[in-house]
Amino acid sequence: MTVAVPAVEASGLVKRFGARTAVDRVDLRVDVGEVYGILGPNGAGKTTFLRMLFGLIRPDAGTLRVFGRTWGEAGPRMLDGVAGFIESPRFYPYLSGRRNLNLLAGLDGGGAGSRIDAVLDVVDLAGRADDKVGGYSFGMRQRLGVAASLLRDPRLLVLDEPANGLDPAGIRDMRALVRRLAAGGLTVLLSSHNMDEVEEICDNVTIMRTGRVVYHGSIDQLRAQAPDPSHRLLTSDDAQALRLGGDHPAVSVSAHPDGGLVLRAQPADADAYILALGQAGVAVRALHLEVAPLESLFFMLTETDPAAGHDVPAQAQPDALTGAAS
Amino acid sequence: MRMPRPSSGRLLRAAAAAGAVTALTAALAGCATDVTRPRVEGSLGPVFANLYVHQQTLLGHPGLTPAAVAARPTCHRTTPGSHDKGAGSDWICQVGWTDGTGRPQNGKFELQVRSNGCYQAGGPSKIVGPIMIRDTAGTSVINPVFEFDGCFDTT
Amino acid sequence: MTTPATPATTATATAAAPVPPAAVHPRPVGRGRVATAYRWEVTKLAAQARTRATLAVCLLAPFVFVVLLDRQDRLPKDTLYGRWVHASGFATPLLILGFAAQWVFPLLTSLVAGDIFASEDQHGTWKTILTRSHSRSQIFWAKTLAAATFTTAVLTVLALSCLTAGVLLVGHQPLESLSGTLLPPGRAAGLVLAAWATALPPLLGFTALGIMLSVLTRSSPAGIVGPIILGLLMQLYAFLNGADTIRHLLLVTPFDAWHGLLAAHPYYGPLRDGTFVSVGYLVLCLAVAYTALRRRDITGG
Repeated sequence: MTVAVPAVEASGLVKRFGARTAVDRVDLRVDVGEVYGILGPNGAGKTTFLRMLFGLIRPDAGTLRVFGRTWGEAGPRMLDGVAGFIESPRFYPYLSGRRNLNLLAGLDGGGAGSRIDAVLDVVDLAGRADDKVGGYSFGMRQRLGVAASLLRDPRLLVLDEPANGLDPAGIRDMRALVRRLAAGGLTVLLSSHNMDEVEEICDNVTIMRTGRVVYHGSIDQLRAQAPDPSHRLLTSDDAQALRLGGDHPAVSVSAHPDGGLVLRAQPADADAYILALGQAGVAVRALHLEVAPLESLFFMLTETDPAAGHDVPAQAQPDALTGAAS
Repeated sequence: MRMPRPSSGRLLRAAAAAGAVTALTAALAGCATDVTRPRVEGSLGPVFANLYVHQQTLLGHPGLTPAAVAARPTCHRTTPGSHDKGAGSDWICQVGWTDGTGRPQNGKFELQVRSNGCYQAGGPSKIVGPIMIRDTAGTSVINPVFEFDGCFDTT
Repeated sequence: MTTPATPATTATATAAAPVPPAAVHPRPVGRGRVATAYRWEVTKLAAQARTRATLAVCLLAPFVFVVLLDRQDRLPKDTLYGRWVHASGFATPLLILGFAAQWVFPLLTSLVAGDIFASEDQHGTWKTILTRSHSRSQIFWAKTLAAATFTTAVLTVLALSCLTAGVLLVGHQPLESLSGTLLPPGRAAGLVLAAWATALPPLLGFTALGIMLSVLTRSSPAGIVGPIILGLLMQLYAFLNGADTIRHLLLVTPFDAWHGLLAAHPYYGPLRDGTFVSVGYLVLCLAVAYTALRRRDITGG
């Protein structure tokens, strides 16, 4: 069973700001019911893409359909069933959180006004709803942004860097909230510069850099292509440890430029190697994960020469990466 | 960026266009002026007559009519080359009229005429009296013809 | 994804399929949306301290003005009806009308009109409202109508307050017309209100000017101060006896149109011309503002 009309479908989307091409021939498809991540470093064009989705800026070329509708055909009605925020959500600081939601519910019409208390509960802001937004912390504003989006009872929720500027507890809560909403059947499109976040929440991902798509596919597929985790290893005898590394073909051990060693291996292989160190009388003083596997893949994708990446068909990307990583 | 703010080039063109329009209009403007001698004289006569009747009533001489006062102003500007037109505080009007006893009167009024067609006129206090006068009840009231305002149609 | 049927995507879609998609909710139809947005904007204006303070000042200032004037020996004779302020309560609203046109009117209207678009830039809230199924045109007309409503409200409150202050604190003596005749109180009251009503077209012109500056500069101070400065420059031009052809095209000239109503034989030429000029400013400024807002990329906030 496939869903005929995708939630979002972009093809050949281009946006230029003067000489700079912020979004360069981007194709993207988000199916109904999935949690989709757009991942990329700052300046990759994620926010520009989302602004085009909301009609805040006009594409210079290409088409963008939301539930099958384009701006040209449907005008602002293209956004029916869509809610979300771009960068940090903004409100009228001289009004309370509830009053802000009231005003927005007035714009939405329908039954939005009757959902205010419910959405305030969902984002855990009911207790502070009558305070002026001017006094809210960044995280509270972010949560109010989610509440304002849920007010529309959307079928597609678009979140631009939802965890940006939040403290660790706030990040945890935000991710839990997104997962909860997604479990309820909502289609979620979120942008992030954080691989962990996308890995934790998303089913599928598009990775962008300097306006171009450098990878897209499922998280599982991405995970399979990721290089081995990289660890920093400190031992009582690094020279001996290096030699032992040669006896274990499944692991890669090398000297770390700042002293100590770098160990790259899948967990089971790393375990075997560490045990072998112990048997050989080499004490392990420290072992910690330096770069998570997907993160190192992300860096590889977004820090290599873009010209090399772009013209390779997307499906061939993981293979190319496997070659690069091994 | 798709020109969210006007670029300096556009501003320059707009300024040049505005300047050209202004210069053209200014050139045309020399031909006509709203403040003309017939308009000033046509307004001052009736206004003074009405106010003079008002003043005479205050002083206890009712029954006078503006028609009987028959104020006849003759106005000109004292600035050379002004051709007796245009706004300015140099308008002088010599007004002749008939008082309550039927005697002819004559006085010089100084006018400040503004470009919007309104003027402030000051009468000769020897003839029209001081700024405050006493009415028949003995109350001190403003002398309506000592200084007064008037306006005329400039279209 | 160019080819949506990649194994991974299909797998996800299949997995998601058992979850029923959220129901499609009906939204308000297009024609009601300007009205919806207008109500939203008026509610927002009513919640602003600035709006309330302006209306309160309009309500109270005339009374303070009359009391202060009463303690003065010198009469404000430079403004029309200044010499009659102690003689008739109907002179008070006309004196204030003549005085307000100089810079108070542009200030009162631009306080809201100059801020109404720029405040969304200042708070970064364009994206908040434009992501809620309202087009820029709908928001534009809603805001413009709200600013016009405020302008009309301010003018009405000020007019009634001036008339009340004059009649209550000075009295309802007959009023001297601009032709030197006396107007009975009832007729004077009607003419005073009519005179104030003639200020509405140029005031709406200044509202449009404020809206245009608010959209173009995206700055509240520029939107508020801009119309005041332009108004003062136009006053200065008229004061310096500049060419009359240009003076007729200035937005401050229609503020004098009421003089014709107060003559013994009323004349309406300035009122007719002034209304044309005001409508010209209104259409031009709104067209520029509308086009600029429609074409703009909302990148800030």
